[in-house]
Formats: sequence, C-alpha cells, structure tokens
Amino acid sequence: MKKALGISILLVIVCIATAMASESFLSSYNLENLIRRTALLGIISIGVGFVIVTGGIDLSIGSVICLVGCGLPWLLTTQHWSLPAALVVSLVVPMLIGLFHGLIITKLRIQSFVVTLCGLLLYRGVSRGFTNDQTVGFGTGFDGLRALATGQISLPFIEGFKLPAPCVFLVVIAIASAVFLNYSVYGRYLFALGRNEQAARFSGINTGRMTILAYVICSALAGFGGLLFVLDVNSAQPADFGNFYESYAIAAAVLGGCSLRGGEASILGVIVGAALIQVLRNMITLTTNHQNMEFAIIAIVLLVGVISDELMKRWLVRRRMARDLQ
Amino acid sequence: MKYSLSACLLLALSLTTGCKPAGSSNEASGKKKVAFVSNGVASFWTIAASGVKAAGEKFGVDAQTLMPTQGIVDQKRIIEDLLSKGIDGISVSPIDPANQTDILNTAAKRTKLITNDSDAPASERLVYIGMDNYKAGRLCGELVREAMPSGGSVMLYIGRLEQDNAKSRRQGCIDGMLGRSEDPKRFDPPNDVIEEAGFKILGTLTDNFDQAKAKANVEDTLSRYPEVGGLVGLFVYNPPLIMEVLSQANKLGQIKVVAFDEDDKTLKAIQEGHIHSTVVQNPYMYGYKSVEVLSELAKGNVSVIPANKMIDIPARQIRKADVDAFWADLKAKLGK
Repeated sequence: MKKALGISILLVIVCIATAMASESFLSSYNLENLIRRTALLGIISIGVGFVIVTGGIDLSIGSVICLVGCGLPWLLTTQHWSLPAALVVSLVVPMLIGLFHGLIITKLRIQSFVVTLCGLLLYRGVSRGFTNDQTVGFGTGFDGLRALATGQISLPFIEGFKLPAPCVFLVVIAIASAVFLNYSVYGRYLFALGRNEQAARFSGINTGRMTILAYVICSALAGFGGLLFVLDVNSAQPADFGNFYESYAIAAAVLGGCSLRGGEASILGVIVGAALIQVLRNMITLTTNHQNMEFAIIAIVLLVGVISDELMKRWLVRRRMARDLQ
Repeated sequence: MKYSLSACLLLALSLTTGCKPAGSSNEASGKKKVAFVSNGVASFWTIAASGVKAAGEKFGVDAQTLMPTQGIVDQKRIIEDLLSKGIDGISVSPIDPANQTDILNTAAKRTKLITNDSDAPASERLVYIGMDNYKAGRLCGELVREAMPSGGSVMLYIGRLEQDNAKSRRQGCIDGMLGRSEDPKRFDPPNDVIEEAGFKILGTLTDNFDQAKAKANVEDTLSRYPEVGGLVGLFVYNPPLIMEVLSQANKLGQIKVVAFDEDDKTLKAIQEGHIHSTVVQNPYMYGYKSVEVLSELAKGNVSVIPANKMIDIPARQIRKADVDAFWADLKAKLGK
C-alpha cells in the first residue's frame, strides 16, 4: 500500500489538473474509455510485474499480444475454427510461450533480456508469416465475443455511467495476483528469489520452478491482454499490433513500485501506474493541440514521478532512523 | 575454438555470397527482375501487390512486392538489399522523400528507380507514378462540404504527417473543404484551429499506425468536442476505426464521416449510409503501371517517361450510388 502512495498522489494531481483544464475529462464517456484502456494496459502490466519481481524482464509482451491479436481473428475468420477451439488455443499458446521462456532462462541459464528479445522478434515474425502480412479482423461478426472487451455493465444507483467489461477482468486478475503474491507461500518465494536467488535456493526454495511460473503468468496475461485488445479494436495489423506495448507495461510496473532489481512489487501500484500512463495520453489529446509532444510529456511526468518517489522513500527511511536513534 | 568457428562461418558466407556475380537479371530464367517497395503494410498495398503480380505475368518479368514494417530504417534496408542482390528496376513509395534523397540516388545510380504513391522530386528518380495527393485531398474536402452543407466543426485523422502524400492530402482536404484556391504549397500547422467559410477544423490527430491509439483519438475527440459535426479519416484504417467508436457510442448517423481509401469496412459503411463517401486511389494501377514502366525501361525503352516525369493515376469519389459497382470491380482485381 505504501509503495503505491507516491504514484497515487501523482495520478490524483494529473487527474485534477486535467479535469480543471478540460470539462470533458470527467464525462462518463471519457471515464469509461479511460477505465477500459487502463484495464487493458493494467492486465499486461501485472503480468510483467511477476517477472520483474524475480529480477527478470520480458520484452516479448508486445509480440505475444500481436500473436494472439492476429491469431484469434485469423483462426476464426480465415481458418473457420470453432469459437471454443480458437479461444483455447489463444489462451494456451501464450502459456506455452511463457514455459518456453522460463525453461531456457532457468535450465540453460540464459539472460531473460536475450531470451525475450528473441521472443519479441520471433512471435511478430510468426504472426506476419501466418497472416501473410494481411490485416485480420472480425468484420461485423462475433459481437457476443467482442462484448468481453467492448461490453458495458450497468451499475446499480449510478445513472449514465457503465463499467467497461475489461475492468471486471482486471479486478479479478488483480485480486488473485495480490493474494497470490502477498498471502501465499509461493508469493513469498517469488519475493525471496527476487531479493537473493542464491539465498532462496539454499533455503530450499525451488527457484527454477518459481521463475518458470512467473514467465508463464506474464505471457499468459500478455496473451489474454492481446485477446482483449483485438476484441476492442476489431482488427489487427501484424506489422504493428502491440508494437512498443512492452515498454508501456514495464513503465507501468516500475512506476507502480516494482524494482527492476527484483524482490519488490505492488499490484495496486502497477494498476495506478497503468492508469497514470493512460490518463497522460488522454490529457494530451483533451487539453492540448500538441499531440506530437506526447512522448516527451509522458516521459517528463514519469521521470518526475520516479524521482520524487525515490526521494520520498529516502526521506522516510532517514526519519525512521532518526526516530530510532532518539 | 571460437575463432575457428567464426572463421568457418566467414568462409561459408563468402563462398555462398562471393561466388555469385552482382549481375542483375535472373540468369536461369533470363527474366528481368523488378521490385515494388511500399511504405508500410496495409490492405492498400495488397491491392497494389496484385497489380504488380498481374503486370509481372503480362510483361514477362519477375516482379516482387516488398513491404517495410518498421518505417524508414526498414525501407532503406530493403532497398539496399535489393541493390546488393542485383535488380533491374525498383519502384518505391518513399516514406520521407526529402530526407531519403541519399538512398534514392544510390538506387537511381545502380538501377532504374521510379517512385509511386509518394513522389521524391528532389531525387534522381526517372518518373513518378501516382495521383496528385493534393488534388485527391481536395476531392475529399469537397465531399465534406457535400456531407455538411451548412458547415460545422470537423476533426481530421491521419497516420502520420511526415510523408509528402499525407501532408498534401491533408492540405488538399482542408483547402477543398474551405473552398480555397488551389495552392499545393500552402501549409496549415496541424495544431492550429482553423475557422473559415462556416467550418471549424479542430485539428489533425496522428497515431503512427497504432490502431489502438487511432481509436483512442476518435474517442477523445467525442469526449472533448461532444458537438463535433464531422470526422474525416485520411488513412485507410482510420474510417473503420471511426465507425467502431461511433457504433460503440451509439452515434452512428449523428456525425458525418468522410473517408479515404477502400477498406472493406469503409465500403460496407457507405452501403449502409453510415459513411457519406470516400475518395479512392487506384493502388492496383500503381503496381501494374510500375512494373510495366520498369520492364520497358529495363529493355532500354525510355519513351514510356513523359516530359513532366509524372504518370497520373487519378483518384475518384465513391458515394453510395457508386459503391456496389466499385466494390465488385475491386474484388475481381483481388481475385476474391
């Protein structure tokens, strides 16, 4: 909870500033859009959070999103697979990818950066190959399936605002992840292994298995995110679908308190980090006419956030030490 | 051990590549080889590729279509690889013509170089095959006037503004919409709001080919300007995403949409009356004509190059009345 404090304050500040600059920011339509985008980014960011806890990194997320995002419509509309079969394949293949990454990283002891960088190239190449570089999409069909991403749920007592369906997935995934990380022995193992792998191994933890598990979770969530992304957008271009998304996911996770050195994570923080990124992008279109400055503005706010968070942590530590000395 | 391994690899490489003369024609078949390089991956280029294929068969040349996926760096790599492989002619759609003169001139020195879709007048290309994007943009602007006879506020969407064809198309659209005189050199900064002739152009939003971003742009427009009267999608994937957002927001039919290009979803929406009209290029002919011209040039026939160094493939306006006939023809060309 403490880890997410700094970033939450930043999010609130950005939201207040945007709301003051644009009255449409708080309109229910805009909030629905924002929540949907945050949920999509949040799901993949939680995934990468698991890998970051172990001290690893996954650069293949964008390409896994592309693989599933192109694969599902391709299976359904070009190959005419049945819906259950296509869905099962779309969910299982990413898990196998994660297993594949995890096995290479733990058994052959190759750095995760290299393995997943190859994954980044591999899965995009494969997607472009089987789709023949063609845009794939659901056309006008599959409305029921698409409701998973585009559907809206009416809330009791609240008129005019409907909860986007992906938000439900995010909440379920977030709660499950938080319970797993903080209240299960396996979650403790993950933290331990991230802080000091050797120590964890010597104290009897099967670190290899835990690392593999983290990569499986990460790829599975990336694949699930890809599925929701394509259901939302309705079409995917293999050359650029999901391109660069691993950067956003890693940024959200790090902003949310995951340390790239491993051993630290906060699921709530990751979601707040994802929300901050999406609010910033939304703010730029809503309040300025300088869309071309988008990356620069995001970068500056994020850097300010990370630096102030770090300074605040140090100040808290110093204050505690001073109090202990007294 | 390491050294001997890399030495072996080097040797193997030099054997496979070095022994081959850097000659151009495909010696086994005696066919000339020509290549068509797009500026990215899109259904638009698939149509062009079918023109390339048809012309390759017609004129008896080995014609190949290549689509760069990572922008300008990738396009340069493709052209360089074609040159090192040996090629009789290249037709390229430069992504950023003003800054690609170097590589284009290198290509022009080593083979027959022509441009398609987007021109690079500063380079030594032999001829440009395509439409005048400014004029095509004007056709689009006129359709906006037709869709919104009493004016109103309009937002424009486009992939990116770095390439000349995008710049001219956008400017043509603005000038056509506002009924200004023809001046392809005019440039309104994309961040400025333009109020003129009963129209208020709110801005031009770019997405760098990220479709989720393109969709978010439309959603954010509806949030920021609930009163917006018209949306214009200037790249092939923009109009379908506009449809996506409007149908999710239950605003189909309430906001006028004018499109560019011929995505299936755009054509379907015109049939249904949700998109007023679109301006279509003729990518099939870009591909076909490119291969025809390159095969003639490879034979040494330079009479195919007109004096103004431009072969115009004009754009057309497609409204609800024309869409069925146009779509049937398109499907026939794609062999669907």
